[in-house]
Amino acid sequence: MGAGLQLNNMKSYTQIPPGTQILIGPAAQRRRVLERAICSVFEGWSYEEIIPPIFDYYDVFIKGMGTGLEKQIYRFIDREGNILALRPEFTSLVAKTVATRLASAPKPIRLFYSGEVLRFEQPKGGRQREFAQVGIENYGGSSKTADAEILLIAVEAFERVGIPTFQINLGSVDFFGGIMDRIDLPSEDVVALKDVLNLKDQSGLETLLSRLPLEERGKNILRAIPHLTGGRAVIEEARKLVRNPRSADSLDHLDEIYSTFERLGLARHLTIDLGEIRGFDYYTGILFRAYVPELGFEVANGGRYDGLPGVFGKDLPAVGFSFSLDRLEQIVAPKLTAADGEPSIVDAAGGFEKALQLRRSGKAVKLCL
Amino acid sequence: MLVIALAKGRFLDPSLELLQRAGIRFSENVASSRKLIFDSDDGRCRAVLVKPADVPTYVEYGAADAGIAGRDVLMESRADLLQPLVLDFGHCKIAVAAPKGMHSINGSDNPTVRIATKYRNITIEYFNARGIPVEIIPLSGSIELAPLIGLADRIVDLVETGRTLKDNGLEVVEVIAESSARLVINRASYQTKREEVLALIRALQGIQ
Repeated sequence: MGAGLQLNNMKSYTQIPPGTQILIGPAAQRRRVLERAICSVFEGWSYEEIIPPIFDYYDVFIKGMGTGLEKQIYRFIDREGNILALRPEFTSLVAKTVATRLASAPKPIRLFYSGEVLRFEQPKGGRQREFAQVGIENYGGSSKTADAEILLIAVEAFERVGIPTFQINLGSVDFFGGIMDRIDLPSEDVVALKDVLNLKDQSGLETLLSRLPLEERGKNILRAIPHLTGGRAVIEEARKLVRNPRSADSLDHLDEIYSTFERLGLARHLTIDLGEIRGFDYYTGILFRAYVPELGFEVANGGRYDGLPGVFGKDLPAVGFSFSLDRLEQIVAPKLTAADGEPSIVDAAGGFEKALQLRRSGKAVKLCL
Repeated sequence: MLVIALAKGRFLDPSLELLQRAGIRFSENVASSRKLIFDSDDGRCRAVLVKPADVPTYVEYGAADAGIAGRDVLMESRADLLQPLVLDFGHCKIAVAAPKGMHSINGSDNPTVRIATKYRNITIEYFNARGIPVEIIPLSGSIELAPLIGLADRIVDLVETGRTLKDNGLEVVEVIAESSARLVINRASYQTKREEVLALIRALQGIQ
């Protein structure tokens, strides 16, 4: 037994738990510089920082994220038997805080956060099981202005960290939702439809359509969805397909955002994608993902989740997004400079006075032992 | 430039032929060369040759923008890819096979079915959805052998003509899915190289 114990002890420090990493020196500095650059953009748009706890009751996240992701949550039990969870995302925590503690605060409430989240998933695209997110949330702002506001903030964040080429892929759950409201399918068929549409899988869609009791008109709308991606023309094309008010309103809204971006000379960064219907259950309006040419995975994502604060007791419109710092770090190399300049080398033997003097005058020192 | 991951082996010739008909030509002899990277004659495409099971990985990570792979490989890999086109080659079935006459659902008295396969994920998902616990016997070749010498109760494998099964006294008892070649696209490339990606999809669609 003694030998076994020893072996176990060895293991704990010769092995690394999958999904963790350690940032040292320049890597850590790069993380902080990027984090600071993005957060300063958020502050520039009058967002205030919120530092939520790293764990909360499991229910908080389940209510927020909905089904599907609960398997990825790290759970544990406290001494009273409550089920707690390490945060797998920030939005639920922020929404809970806004709906309770900030319920009577003047609206809109603009908050940003930065920190680690934990998900039990296969490490991929440079993202471990513990990874860093920085993001914003806007509560109580009308979708008319708040959606464009947060998209503009995302654009500025990209520019600030030195990424000139990026693509924001913008869709709306309401376009697809409005179509689904009209054709009334069992929920498992809606899930199957979403699955094939999310893959842009034409043959899978045909197979599914052949067994669904839909009129030809409805089928043709569904067939068109994977192709409804591109510039403004897509919105016009989509208008010809749908008559239901929910879908039509979502198109008006996307059109408005697109016009704003055109007016500001930023439309080249925006792609309308009405086939984009992936994401947490809580999304209710626009949703978007941002891509850069250098990386095969999205570097930011977000959307509108008006239903979420209501889950925690206060109905409020809400919209937000987050950047993945781990992914950004792979593609940008921010200039790393020491805060107090190059250090002066000071001999430690009797050199403490000199070192202290230099420090007091704001210079960097490095003691030589 | 669009990078396309092609699977070495039985998919390579039909993939190259399809690309050629779509106007993407390689003057070098891709199939017989030992090189792994080839640029198309017009310089617009680059083909990289990889193991069939690795195509989804290359594309998911964006090391390749597009790829051609069998549905079996895609289902097994669980990679998050766009799959806009089914291509007209590589037709086969992913099937459960057992020694002739062993049609009962379990194939043995064991409460757990032992299944030899290289499709671990597909097999577990299929049987679990039917409430049947399975023990996976991971093999990478000659899967048909396993039930014949008592290593497994059944196999899950690709069946093209059924000839190999027949020769070894096995038969298909259930078909899990039909498989054929598919064009897959990286999600980021679809956005950041939209024009090139759509041109490729249109070109391949046009000649089917």
